[in-house]
Amino acid sequence: MKIVVAYKWAPNPQDASVDDDGVVDWSRAKSGISEYDPVAVELARRLADATGGEVIGVTAGTKKVDVSMARKAALSRGLDRTVIVADDSLEGAGTTELAAALAAAIRHIGDVDLVVTGDSSVDVGAKMVPTVLAGQLGWPSVGEVTAVSGEAGALRVERDTAGGTQVLEISGPAVLAASTDAAVPRVPGMRDILAAGKKPVETLDVSALDLPAGGTTLTVTGTSRPDLKARKGQMIHATDPAAAAAELVAALRGAGVL
Amino acid sequence: MSANTWIVVAGDPAIGALIETARALGGQVTAAVVGPRAVADTIAAGGVDKVVWFGDPDQAPVEAYASAVADAVGAAPGVVLAASRPGDRVLLGAVAARLQAAVLTEPSSVSADGDALVVTRTVFGGIAVETVSVTGPVALVLDGGPVPPASGEAPVEEVAATPLGMTVVETKDNSFELVDLGAADRVVSIGRGLKAQADLAMIEALAGACKAEVACSRPVAEGLGWLGKDRYIGVSGQKIAPDVYFAIGISGQLQHMVGVRGAKIIVAINSDANALVFKDADYCLVGDLYQLVPALTKALK
Repeated sequence: MKIVVAYKWAPNPQDASVDDDGVVDWSRAKSGISEYDPVAVELARRLADATGGEVIGVTAGTKKVDVSMARKAALSRGLDRTVIVADDSLEGAGTTELAAALAAAIRHIGDVDLVVTGDSSVDVGAKMVPTVLAGQLGWPSVGEVTAVSGEAGALRVERDTAGGTQVLEISGPAVLAASTDAAVPRVPGMRDILAAGKKPVETLDVSALDLPAGGTTLTVTGTSRPDLKARKGQMIHATDPAAAAAELVAALRGAGVL
Repeated sequence: MSANTWIVVAGDPAIGALIETARALGGQVTAAVVGPRAVADTIAAGGVDKVVWFGDPDQAPVEAYASAVADAVGAAPGVVLAASRPGDRVLLGAVAARLQAAVLTEPSSVSADGDALVVTRTVFGGIAVETVSVTGPVALVLDGGPVPPASGEAPVEEVAATPLGMTVVETKDNSFELVDLGAADRVVSIGRGLKAQADLAMIEALAGACKAEVACSRPVAEGLGWLGKDRYIGVSGQKIAPDVYFAIGISGQLQHMVGVRGAKIIVAINSDANALVFKDADYCLVGDLYQLVPALTKALK
């Protein structure tokens, strides 16, 4: 079974700073493997080990996603090899462009049976790349996946729904987005990181891929900071819990919210 | 100009906010509805001009109709809207891929300006707001809003569709009661500061004393699984605006606090004086939640 994990090398917005005009400065935010992607790798690894398969990483972005640290961070988590579309023309690429690049890389790999992704990316967090990717490939897509078993062409997929869980059978290849708690990812040790340096990496240029022309022109006409409520930040000393509770209740009653 | 709009629907008719957005764009509004006929009928009565329905799904999950929906929308493209729910996102993704449409999420306003669609939205987990002007195909993910009230009767056109090869073979309900946190005036929310699931009783007692709903941070619902997933607050969970929000044992990561930006008052209780949550709170109590929560419950009685 040939399993692809689509992952992202991205910074956490919590570490970015935003100026008064709403311009985001990422210079102090270090990139890493996106928060939930190790869960996807773990899910894929276990299925591959159970079925005698291979796990191939795929990512797309600017040249930054192909630095040595990014390669090792991905490969040390349980991938057998990785395919990277690293091209500065993808600077600022939206969901649809990234999904198209990932789809092209997956077609390039060929005969892929399953694509697994994380729940959402740490920076954009829209949960849309897996669904657009599935659309590009013409494959079924399911999110909130908690377990996968079966074999190529006959997958058994468990997913969370609003009121419980469902088990699905999927014939043919599919794109599955793992729930954040689908598996506890392994923590790579020194041996994994050293071994990662020896695993195969293939890089692809956008020009070598058959990407569809985007039909959209998008212009940013303005940015701003979110309009946040000013918070009081009032300390209530809590060494005496009963007194603190009384003070808080009085304050909340005074504000008319109890 | 006026823009024709598609609304893609994956089995849940709670799309009232999408109909309002589509109506405001001034063009024809067509809903592509996957799911039982009753859902198509509810939407047909809810203020759209036309419903395209893909037949009874039987044992096929909603996602199995992604290609069929993309075919239907691709034949007469327009602005495409979907609710921010897993199945709806899958249908929208297939449409966006077919149209090579830009995908925009979390819009706070959407309007037509000449040939362009102008969208203001929060980006990067809520740290900034941007306004974009888009020409060409656009797919938007919005909060669905309520089920639209019956206000008319649009025609329902049935389209023969071949679902993708996927079948629901088993459905299990979980033991969690569904909750509408958005309707709660007061919310008591718990994070990883809670040491054991049994201690939820203490949190529920506090919620009972101030007539609040119980919510949580993401790891409490996912990972620990102590509460239902519809109870976690944050960028990918519930976004609420209660009168008062108690953040108890919650560190206050950006991804969580984005979900309560609209709260009138935020109370933070945390044993770590440096916890991020205190930067976003109105009332800050540094201390042990195991002492402060019972004291607060008592004070409220």
